[in-house]
Amino acid sequence: AAMRSRAEVDATLQTAKLNPAELLPVVHCLSFGPQAGGGECCLLQLEPGLCAELEAGRSLIIRGEKDEHAVLCSKDKTYDMKIADTSNMLLFVPGCKTPEELKADQASCNIIHPQIAGFSKNYWELRRCRPKLKKLRKLLMEDPYEGPDSQKDQASTFSKYTTEDLLNLIQASEEEILHQLQVIDACKIEGYWRILDFDYEMKLLNHVTQLIDSESWPLSKVPLCACLEELGSLEPREMIEHILLSYGRKYVDDGEVFFEMHEDKICRAIAQMLLQNAVKFNLSEFQEVWQQSVPEGMTTRLDQLQGLALVDRSSRPETIFLLKVEDLPEDNQERFNSLFGIREKWTEVDITPYIQDLCAEKQTVGALLTKYARSSMLNGVKVYNSRRPIS
Amino acid sequence: VSPSGGTGALAQWVLLELQGEVEPRQSGDLAGSLLGDLHYTCEGVPVLIVGHHILYGKVVQLEKPFAVLVKQGGASQPSPVGPHSHYYTVTALIKTKLLFKTRPKPIITHVPRKV
Repeated sequence: AAMRSRAEVDATLQTAKLNPAELLPVVHCLSFGPQAGGGECCLLQLEPGLCAELEAGRSLIIRGEKDEHAVLCSKDKTYDMKIADTSNMLLFVPGCKTPEELKADQASCNIIHPQIAGFSKNYWELRRCRPKLKKLRKLLMEDPYEGPDSQKDQASTFSKYTTEDLLNLIQASEEEILHQLQVIDACKIEGYWRILDFDYEMKLLNHVTQLIDSESWPLSKVPLCACLEELGSLEPREMIEHILLSYGRKYVDDGEVFFEMHEDKICRAIAQMLLQNAVKFNLSEFQEVWQQSVPEGMTTRLDQLQGLALVDRSSRPETIFLLKVEDLPEDNQERFNSLFGIREKWTEVDITPYIQDLCAEKQTVGALLTKYARSSMLNGVKVYNSRRPIS
Repeated sequence: VSPSGGTGALAQWVLLELQGEVEPRQSGDLAGSLLGDLHYTCEGVPVLIVGHHILYGKVVQLEKPFAVLVKQGGASQPSPVGPHSHYYTVTALIKTKLLFKTRPKPIITHVPRKV
């Protein structure tokens, strides 16, 4: 179809009984562009900050395998995507000017022919969500690193994952993924991210704690160089440094590198080592053995085991058993179902370490409990149980 | 979802929001067919003439801007980021919309009176 002329526009204005004197001189004659009906364009509603990121030239990535809901990832945040329907028709028009732009622009032409690029009745809506990081651990646990002497590595047919691989497979932003890798003490071996096999990790830790003991170093000042020298013949130097980084805080004093060892983290790891050998333990017996097993100068406390082990104070004698929060479902409802399956009624103190990670940006544990649990009183103490019958 | 056009600023488009459906006069392809004339009054009120209707609207600055996404490539295109990430290009940003919510006023063609 031929483009409308100014004369045709003016004729229409006359028929419509609109006074040209009351209108700005420029008219937009809108028509549908060649691809308009194709449906290749869609609209994405931007949350605060994302517009600025795009204008700065940064990319956003939509991630999700077939069985996953799609999420949108910026450099450091993750968003759920949902289609929002409007009852109206939304047309997207390039080259269309606003009244302000027309008034500011002193162009001489009085007719513009924008072509509508596309239209839609719906758009993508975003909602900030927790990054889906459980899969990260699952992938790395497919093939934990057992040390250089392990026969497994040479013959291994399991996938190993580079940073790029993980970015493709995990529904989270790059920053969130890199942060989580640090949290779970993953390390890069030959370009691939690996998690240490627990037994190997304990072996490494044991080398270090025994050396600290025999050298009588203070726990807050463990020298890196000496460790590498003494232990370098037993284990790869990168592994020695990795275990020090995992269980200590690195700092420099007078040009030399030292580590301040994390007492809580070491005690916790040793507890895990003890607890994983049986279904449950007599609490007082466990506490005794545990204290005896930790390095000289360290003190064990039950609160070091939050999210790792659960104490049953209703049994006689009292017992303790391994329950790792990272082994529980990631989805909120499934997590609560799982917890109530393990124990019918929970106090807030006991359940908090197992639901803390579910809290969204400004959500509290209390809010989660209100939503997913029902409270009641038991022996004068407030307890929470499931809202629905657990099969 | 990458901004297209390299270092240049992203194009700014405008959203037109209309009630109801958009249908071409003639059946067949929408592409190339006219929608209507868009005018603004001196006060900045958008006026859209579509067929025999006049629509009055208003200019709205969007609290949450939109990005216009175009899906890149088909199954045949080798993707540098693996098979599970979709690459969309941001063709433009939309910060303004022209909202036409009023009922269209029909244009009554002047019928000359019989003398």
